Amino acid sequence: MIGLLPSPPAKVLEGSIVYKGTDLVKLKPKDLRSYRGTEIAMIFQEPLTSLNPVYKVGSQMAEAILIRESRSAGLDAADPEAIEDLHKPVRKKSKPVKPKRKLTPELRKEAMEALKLVRIADPEQVLERYPFELSGGMRQRVMIAMALSQRPKLLVADEPTTALDVTTQAQVLKLMKELITEVNTSIMLITHDLAVASQVADRVVVMYAGDVVEDAGVYDLFSKPLHPYTKGLLSCIPTGSKDDTKLMPIPGSVPDLVHPPVGCRYADRCPSAMDICRTKPPKLRDVGSGHKVSCFLYGE
Amino acid sequence: MVNETRDVLVTRDLKKYFPLRRSLNPFSKAERRVVKAVDGVSISIPRGKTVAIVGESGCGKTTLARTVAQLIAPTSGEILLDGRDMSTMKRKDVYKDVQIVFQDPDSSLDPRKTIADTVGEPVRGLHGGTNRAIDERVMRSLAAVGLSEEQAYRIPKQLSGGQRQRVAIARAIAPSPKLLILDEPTSALDASVQAQILRLLIELQNEFGLSYMLITHNIAVAQYLSDVVAVMYAGHLVEYGPTKTIMARPRHPYTITLMTAAPIANPWKRNLLNIEIKGEVPSAINPPTGCRFNPRCPYVGDVCTKVDPPLEEVSPGHLVACHFKAQTADVVVERRTTSGLAAPEVGAT
Repeated sequence: MIGLLPSPPAKVLEGSIVYKGTDLVKLKPKDLRSYRGTEIAMIFQEPLTSLNPVYKVGSQMAEAILIRESRSAGLDAADPEAIEDLHKPVRKKSKPVKPKRKLTPELRKEAMEALKLVRIADPEQVLERYPFELSGGMRQRVMIAMALSQRPKLLVADEPTTALDVTTQAQVLKLMKELITEVNTSIMLITHDLAVASQVADRVVVMYAGDVVEDAGVYDLFSKPLHPYTKGLLSCIPTGSKDDTKLMPIPGSVPDLVHPPVGCRYADRCPSAMDICRTKPPKLRDVGSGHKVSCFLYGE
Repeated sequence: MVNETRDVLVTRDLKKYFPLRRSLNPFSKAERRVVKAVDGVSISIPRGKTVAIVGESGCGKTTLARTVAQLIAPTSGEILLDGRDMSTMKRKDVYKDVQIVFQDPDSSLDPRKTIADTVGEPVRGLHGGTNRAIDERVMRSLAAVGLSEEQAYRIPKQLSGGQRQRVAIARAIAPSPKLLILDEPTSALDASVQAQILRLLIELQNEFGLSYMLITHNIAVAQYLSDVVAVMYAGHLVEYGPTKTIMARPRHPYTITLMTAAPIANPWKRNLLNIEIKGEVPSAINPPTGCRFNPRCPYVGDVCTKVDPPLEEVSPGHLVACHFKAQTADVVVERRTTSGLAAPEVGAT
């Protein structure tokens, strides 16, 4: 969605990504870049691999802030010299440019505020640390702080807590939930854990083998799941103990996406598959109050 | 306290310390520091039952498992296997009774061996016998985990992740052990595959009367599979007792935090958003004095920073190590999910 997949091989064949009325798919890479970070920011699963190990937290955060400032000044954000120029106006072109990311007092102050926002108790010290010196939860907080220092309107979080411990996960999820209201950001949370989704989401979109199979408000989805895959997923969650509940695993495995099945991609594993399911793919349709499902059980 | 004939495995005040590298200065007077990964853990695993060791990374649960599996030697303390002291037993005899299933089948299976060879290896080494007898045993354990004879001649790459974990389980049960150590057996798997493996583990337990020592950070898995839960924090056992009791009425403040923080699939019970969790797991090199949970504990008092609380019984079989356990007597944690429940009215939260 933020145009990060290498192309080729990844290619958006059709469809559109409409962000505030603009179709991002039709934008040129150069124009898209100005959306990335400032409008739409992304945080990844493993913060240690998304932070640069050889720079201190402070200078990495400063870079993020500089990019935002240069953009609001109307400069091309991708040029490292432009970033430097904001603070050091003179620079010889002949010398190889090595971004120094100097921490000016103003930048330091802003970075510290961003870290305070994500409830880091001693921001001053954290700025002087390298990523490897921080714990997993702290690193993910730094990532969120960096993303938020861009003041994005949308935060895409790809499995942000999968690599974290349960109590740290709870801290990070709670923080994200609070930040939605504090900084007025929307969050797109990508997760494989339905329990996490049920705890923080307002709306849940269930995907299977590349297709959206169900899309509903969180309460609707968990009280009356419609698509057989959603039902299957819910019955896979261990609840209670082995004495009072039996897990109902979904039989089979995910289809080969190079040669996906002709009809519904879930048909081979579906307990209620009908003939029509194997001949044509169902369409996602609204079955009332914004609850959308893609399944022939609920009409054509 | 423990009945040794009933329990397959008993540990008594088990300790495992790892020394840290000494300072580079050879004349340094600094005391040699150690990481107290497991610090005085006593548990017992009843025959045919599952004991879950629950805790977060760095709490020592994996070290405990590895010590019990004789992969590392304990610093002090005893491990009794069927009433016999493990340190006096031959390794081979230990492995006839204790086998381990690791988290990630991709790294625990030999990529170049066929499934049959992998599963047959422990049988050959421990019990010996003719090739035919070994093959028979291999096929029996593969059948028990739901793999076909044809799959026995494939290599791990040709199987799916769930099937590979089945192979790891087949290899562990092939020598007919009494105790299986399951080190995060489903953490590397998808939700639907996890459900398959959990079901398989229960079937195997019922069929062969196996005892399980389940190491996990996943509260839902522990709740589902275990009869007894041992909660570890920074190398110590902080709570120990029947799973049903601990899941519903945890008494140690850390257990309460853990149970509330573990997300449940129930949008009407957003437990996780209503709790305040302070700080992080302490470093094992410099653990806090007194109770190791004191810097993060909402109930903390003066005594907690000075005296390490002993494990004391609060109800039959339920032990808690906390100075203020009287204050947590009426804490109830709800861990029900929506399935099987009439949905509360929308907007109830």
